[in-house]
Amino acid sequence: MTRDELGQALRAIVGPRGVLSRASELLPLSADGLPTYRLPPSLAVLPSTREQVIDVVRVLARERVAFVPRGAGTGLSAGALATDGAVIIGLNRLTRIISIDPVNRLAVVEPGAVNVSLTRAAAAYGLFYAPDPSSQTACTIGGNVAENSGGPHCLKYGVTLNHVVAVTVLLPNGDIVTLGGAEGETPGYDLLGAFVGSEGCFGIALDITVRLVPNPQAVRTMLADFMSIEAGARATSAVIASGILPAAIEMMDGPTIRAVEASIYAAGYPADAEAVLLIELDGLEAGIDDEVRRVQTMCTEAGARTVRIARDDTERARLWQGRKKAFGAMGRVAPALVVQDAVIPRTRLPDVLHTIHEIAARWNIQVCNVFHAGDGNLHPNIAFDPHDADATDRVHHAMREIMRACVDAGGTITGEHGVGLDKLEYMPLIFSPESLDAQCRLRSVFDPERRANPGKVVPVHACREWLASPAARALT
Amino acid sequence: MTADTAVRARATQDVADAVKDAAARRTPLRVVGRGHWLDAGAPASPATPLALDALSGIVAYTPGDLTLTVRAGTTLSDIAAVTAEHGQWLALDPFGTDDGTIGATIATASAGPLAHAFGTPRDAALGLEVVTGDGSIIRTGGRVVKNVAGFDLTRLFTGSWGTLGVITEVTVRLRARPDVDETWVVALAEDDAIGAACRAALGAAAAPIALELVDAPLAAALGLGKSPVMLVRLAGAAAAMHAQRDALRVLGAAAVGPPDVWQRLRAAEPPGSTVLRLSQLPDRIADTWQVAAGRSPSAWRHATPSRGIVRVITTDSGDTAATIARAADGRCTLIAERAPAALWAAGPTPMPNASLAARIRAAFDPAGILNPGLAPDSAPPPATEQTDA
Repeated sequence: MTRDELGQALRAIVGPRGVLSRASELLPLSADGLPTYRLPPSLAVLPSTREQVIDVVRVLARERVAFVPRGAGTGLSAGALATDGAVIIGLNRLTRIISIDPVNRLAVVEPGAVNVSLTRAAAAYGLFYAPDPSSQTACTIGGNVAENSGGPHCLKYGVTLNHVVAVTVLLPNGDIVTLGGAEGETPGYDLLGAFVGSEGCFGIALDITVRLVPNPQAVRTMLADFMSIEAGARATSAVIASGILPAAIEMMDGPTIRAVEASIYAAGYPADAEAVLLIELDGLEAGIDDEVRRVQTMCTEAGARTVRIARDDTERARLWQGRKKAFGAMGRVAPALVVQDAVIPRTRLPDVLHTIHEIAARWNIQVCNVFHAGDGNLHPNIAFDPHDADATDRVHHAMREIMRACVDAGGTITGEHGVGLDKLEYMPLIFSPESLDAQCRLRSVFDPERRANPGKVVPVHACREWLASPAARALT
Repeated sequence: MTADTAVRARATQDVADAVKDAAARRTPLRVVGRGHWLDAGAPASPATPLALDALSGIVAYTPGDLTLTVRAGTTLSDIAAVTAEHGQWLALDPFGTDDGTIGATIATASAGPLAHAFGTPRDAALGLEVVTGDGSIIRTGGRVVKNVAGFDLTRLFTGSWGTLGVITEVTVRLRARPDVDETWVVALAEDDAIGAACRAALGAAAAPIALELVDAPLAAALGLGKSPVMLVRLAGAAAAMHAQRDALRVLGAAAVGPPDVWQRLRAAEPPGSTVLRLSQLPDRIADTWQVAAGRSPSAWRHATPSRGIVRVITTDSGDTAATIARAADGRCTLIAERAPAALWAAGPTPMPNASLAARIRAAFDPAGILNPGLAPDSAPPPATEQTDA
């Protein structure tokens, strides 16, 4: 089948406005949240109903065409990009919240439901959906499942994996299976656990059942500012080691603070500080102010100049906005941004941050650090001008060195953004050939033809039995 | 070594050698933790034991990171001892005793009352070292608390009953031990009231780390009086305790329970018991509780209401279990932790996604030598090894 014939076949399912084929139409789908990659798909299909998704995937299965499931395209690993001219299946028209069961604290959503829309819908019952990536106002729950997304509050509440109860999956061959289940335990292998975080390589989630969490009785949000990033890191380590489990501990360094304060997202962070910690405690009203005082003392002992407690919801929202929109604020600094997502053991925060600073100085670049300090999940990011070849080269060298430093400290290469294309080259740093091959074996169970999001997550040369997939060439 | 000589591994390489050898000869292996095998009467086929009890000890522990890496044969009591020195704990309390190994706990995904607040082994496991069925030594996950690098083999091996690979090393997330840890016993009225009691307990302005319902006969066996009871384990900073105790008053009069009440509950089942787990949505707990009652006065029941799970323990010859299994059909999910041969003979309940499961099994254990006959390879799960009991 030629590309035009395939386009016709897909239009017959989704209607004329559901298939994009012109280069200008496909341009927005050729990148995700990471501006350094650009790969246009051969076609994009935008089904509006579950039945259309199923029909589309079955046509692609019949024609042995590779496809990439895509939500809002806010990912930061170039994971939702089409390699080798695959077809993008955009799921962001399937936005329905199918049901909310407030008694059992469960919700069933379509894959394109926007993360924050679920929390808004659940608010009427005093419940919320805990995973809260910074892109939560745009990103989809289907995308969150694919990436096993985190967010600031996963320090206490856990990541997407811990909140997904069941998923109805459309396998790449068109079969439909239910993984997990809300009505009691599921015997057998934890296929649901294997599916969450599989980056679109195991199939498409048609509906997702998630847990909702009761709103905490009390919330206290604090901002501590420091004259060095190491002092902020010491405060973080002290709080974690103390046994207090905050809902979130987020750190921003001086360059980030200044970028945020100069932007429309200005949150009132002290612009002369070299680090701020945004710490949120939540739980029962009883005892929470006691914990606030203990955290305050630990911050002060680590060198905090001031520790401020948000007086009301407005101030809390403003403090959080600065954090959640920090990457957006970087747009003021330079047109392109690279961001890493390494996780390190929490006791290593001060020395790894110091190393990152040294690497940046050596390559003469400006690294901004805004990250989930409580988890040890770093997001060193560099704003740069992609038209400056020398700068771009230095940025990439520095990023590789930073990743190595994190791995050498006992860390991992990605905590919540996924491997996608961006971190493929780092996978052999943390996994042996045998370990990568085991991951390939699991993928082949779900997708023997490797047509679902081909070329992502595991470097193909790591798969012993890998043969050049006909699917990857079908449309070239 | 011959096919029927037991192997006692002291290092991962020993495991890899034994598995490779068994794969070449196509002789099945039975993976054993502490060797406390419980005969479930299940139709598990005979196999050469591969003992991991000597593959034990701490590999890495940095208290400030709240993570711990240990060899698979390390017992839960050894983990408790080493972490307690730093005011920390591994918040997993599978049924049985702390003589069981961490490898078996992860391999069987066994959880106890603490799962109410802290989840099950899938929530605690951060990374594994595993010998797969072809003798390859692989690593999954990592040693940090957040990790999405690659496909999640950690979750796949957790609860796979050693049928996909032999877990040789485990990294888990630890938690700080609370300042105060106390258990309250609330006597409840008759069974009819348990639905209301569960709703009240789950809705109370308290954050218990365990909340377990115990029926009257089991309560009596545990020395907790003659009526059904709710066990409420409160923990946290001292400043937060007073208000939580107050909030529990909605349930009725509460008395402080004996400090070892949880150990007693976990070890309650007499040798040779049949143990079944029934589950449904949490708001169906009263119905599931009724299903679990069967018709036999010799059955004990306890439940984790927030998870919708009721556990039944019975010592009779099998009639009770068979009755309960029939009653459960279509009303709730039945998982047999330990069951008599008669129940297995009644025919396997179909596993969900059997074809995917079979392909996974073939991908990781192509020779079919690892724990043949054990769940989830066969159904229903015979559970011959309850956390190594």
